[in-house]
Formats: sequence, C-alpha cells, structure tokens
Amino acid sequence: MKNILYNTGYFIKETKTIMRLNLLSSILSFLSIGLIFFILAMMISGWWVSSHVVLAIQEEAEISIYFSEDMDAAGAERLAEEIENIEGVYEARLVSEEEAYSRMEKILGKEARVLEYLDDNPFSPFIEAKIQIEDIGLIPGKLDLIEGIEHVRDNREVLERILGISQTIKILGYLIIAAVGISTTVIISHIIRMGIYDCREQINTLRLMGAPEAFIGFPFMLEGLLLTLGGGALSSALAAYALKYLYAQAAGPIAFIPLPPREALVSDLTILIMLLSTALGTAGSFFGLSSAKN
Amino acid sequence: MIEAKGVCLEYPDGTKAIKNIELSVKPGELVYITGPSGSGKTSLLKLFMGEEYPTAGSLRVLGQHISRGQASRIRGLRRMIGPVFQDFRLIKGRTALENVMLGMRFLDIPSGCIRENAGNALKKVGLEQKMLSLVEHLSWGECQRVAIARAVSREPVLIIADEPTGNLDKDNALNILELLKSFRNDNKAIIITTHATHLIEDERYAVHIRMDNGNMLKERSGEA
Repeated sequence: MKNILYNTGYFIKETKTIMRLNLLSSILSFLSIGLIFFILAMMISGWWVSSHVVLAIQEEAEISIYFSEDMDAAGAERLAEEIENIEGVYEARLVSEEEAYSRMEKILGKEARVLEYLDDNPFSPFIEAKIQIEDIGLIPGKLDLIEGIEHVRDNREVLERILGISQTIKILGYLIIAAVGISTTVIISHIIRMGIYDCREQINTLRLMGAPEAFIGFPFMLEGLLLTLGGGALSSALAAYALKYLYAQAAGPIAFIPLPPREALVSDLTILIMLLSTALGTAGSFFGLSSAKN
Repeated sequence: MIEAKGVCLEYPDGTKAIKNIELSVKPGELVYITGPSGSGKTSLLKLFMGEEYPTAGSLRVLGQHISRGQASRIRGLRRMIGPVFQDFRLIKGRTALENVMLGMRFLDIPSGCIRENAGNALKKVGLEQKMLSLVEHLSWGECQRVAIARAVSREPVLIIADEPTGNLDKDNALNILELLKSFRNDNKAIIITTHATHLIEDERYAVHIRMDNGNMLKERSGEA
C-alpha cells in the first residue's frame, strides 16, 4: 500500500504509456463501453419511468362493489368494513347514491344537464375499494364468498396489461444488465490482456527485480478503471441528452402520463452508471490480470 | 551467500543445462564464471535468481532455498540482488534516470530518496550528462552502464552480471569490469559471467569458475 502511495505519479504515467501503446484499442474500447452503457442507461430509464407510472396507476387501482338494494346503510357500512379486512384491499368506503350522482355530473361537465331529464337518481350506492394491483386476481374470489354482494366492477384487463408491461421491462432490464456486465468485463479483460502482452518484457524485468504483482498490475487496473469510467461518463452524457429529447417529445401527445422529474432521473442514472462502471471496470481489470498472470 | 550442493538443471525438453554443481560464494567475493556459449553460465545465474529451479540437489541463495512454490520468498530474494542482464532489459521510452528509478520503486524507499539514489548511481557510472536521455538514444556501452547503475542503486548484497562485456571492445569491456568491481565490498559479493577469459586472466583477487557443457570444470580461489 505504501508503495502504491509513493508511486502514484509513476502509476499514472505508466497508465498513460500503456494506453498510448494501444491507442486505437483504447479508443475503441472507450467507445464500445460508452455505447453499451448508453443502452443500459436507456433501459434503466425505461424501467424507472415505467415503474413510476405503474406505481402511480397502482395507487389509483380500485374496484366498485355493488350490493343488494334491500341492504340498509348500517349493513353497507359493515360490508365496507368486512371488505377492508380482505388481504390486498387497503381502503374501502361507501359511496352514497348522491355522491355517485355528483361524480357523474363532474365527469359529464357541460353535458350533465342530461341527468336533469331523469325523474329519479339512477345511481345505486356502492363500495369503492382501493386495492394492491398484484392481488387483483385474488380479490374477486374472496368477494364472492361475502354475502350481500351482487356485482363487482373492475378495470382488471387494463391493470393487468400495465402490470405485464412493467414486469416485462423489469425482466428485460435484468437481462440487459447481465449482458452489459458480461460484455464490459470481457472488453476490459481483453484490453488489459493486450496491454500486458505489449508490456511483457517490462513485466518480466520487474518480476526478475522482485517487484510485487500488485505493483506490476496496478497501472493495468488503473487503465481498465479509466476506460470504464470514461465510457460511463460518455454514456451518462448521451443518456442525459436523449432523455431531454424524449421528455420534450412526450410533453405533447402523452402529457397525461405521470413521468418522474427528468433532473432527478438523470442524476440518479448518472450515479448508478458511474458506480456500475467502477464495479465492472475493477472486475474486468481483475479478470484480465488474473488470466494474464503467467 | 550461495551454497550449491549437487545442483542439476534439466529443461523439460531433456537438455541438461547444469550437471551436479558444487559451489560456495561468500560475502565480499568476486566470482568470474567463464566458459563458451552454451556452457551453462546463464542457466547457473538463472538458478541464483530463482528464475529456474534445480531439478536435483540443493541450492540456497542469501539464505533462501531455491525451489518451486516459494514465489513470495524468491521475490524477496530478488530484491536483495542487483541484476545486470545480458540484454540489459532497459525499458524503452524512458530516460536513463527513470530506468534506474524503476528498479527501486517497490523497495519501500521514499520517492525523494529514489531520485537521489538513481542520480548518484548514474554519476558513479559516468552518465551524469545523459540522465535525461531516452535509453534508445544511448550507445551499447552507455546502456550497459545504465543497467549497472540500476543494479547498484538498489544497494544489493549480491550483484549478478550476465556477460556484461559482450559486444564491447577490449577497452570498454575492461572499463565495465573495473566499474563492477568498484562496487565490491566486504558485505557485497559480485558474480560476473563472461566468455572473454583474456580480460580476467590476471585477476588474482577473484574466484574463477570454468563451465563447460553444464559441468563445473575448474574452480580457482582468489587470493583476497
């Protein structure tokens, strides 16, 4: 460790020399890693944005439960309490006929005058239950077992489709992270092996003079780390630019989708990519050094 | 410093490079190993450096048993040796000063002292004016001197020089030998291989070892 501290300047100079010896490979590796990380960054952005949207929709996931007309208000309140105790339901409240009528007025807006032609309030009271979207398949079955419930209305198809998309993006994300991890490690290992091959005489001389493997390998580790960090920085910059463009495009036609704030997304993404590039750069350098040890 | 008992070295292809060597080198000794090309001189030095391992017999260098599976101890041993390689093994693209400094960088010497030691060593070998020259711009003899400076700057207890006079004319070869001998002291032994026997015939204060076909033919003790 003391050696490494004493020789910081030497290691930096050596790293520059190693990169200069393999200049074209170094540039191509830097660009490849940047591109790979850019794909990863866009995938992660998609993942985060979809998760954000799903979460927002999940918070709004609810079903309407209609009960028999002869049930009195006290009975309906008890029913609401019973529904609230079902696993996957986190809130259940009684919506009266009047509230149902006024909600429809709000929805119809100017067209609400059509309701005035009706003699009586056509809406029935119902119980509105907010649910965990993952349990949407189980809740109707449990509701069937409760006496007094006549009909359940849900937007199950829509919710299930959103959930499906979100899960697909998540699986794709895992696959891409694995692919990025493997390809970055392979690229870095390979460039380090090339560097070691080019410097084999120097390495052998240092070994014959008693230099520790850590001393010999440190400049190569530094090279791997610099290349991945550079690639990470390049991809972060590209991703920031791409997200700015995509947000601007999304602002018009799909403004109703609750996107997360772009600045927060970009800063979180940059931190993640830089951490990942540090980890993968270290791992790649380590594998490269280990495989070229002899 | 070196104790060799019945040491043999056989390469995987069956070549017997060293055959049953018995040798002892004590502190302060100057040892010349002579013999024609292929006689086993370099193989013997490789054994001393832990670059090869004896296939039979026992070899101890600076108290360290030379055998397989002792990598970290052999690394420690190499740090106590100042090697002057036959082909110098100087690092291209670096100056003479940087090459000499490189040999010390992993020896727990503070950076300031490394530079000072390297500068002093280059002064001793007469390359004060060429410290900052790239080694590829130096002559053969100057490269030889840089290699010697790199070896001695490490303050080793054993200097091993493999054919330091090779490719040099008589005067320059004698100068190099004189230079190497100047680093000898009571605690420091120097081993030099050479096939130029005419240059060392008159050396009375040295141990002369003659090698031929892997065998040690003759050992003549010095008078010192």
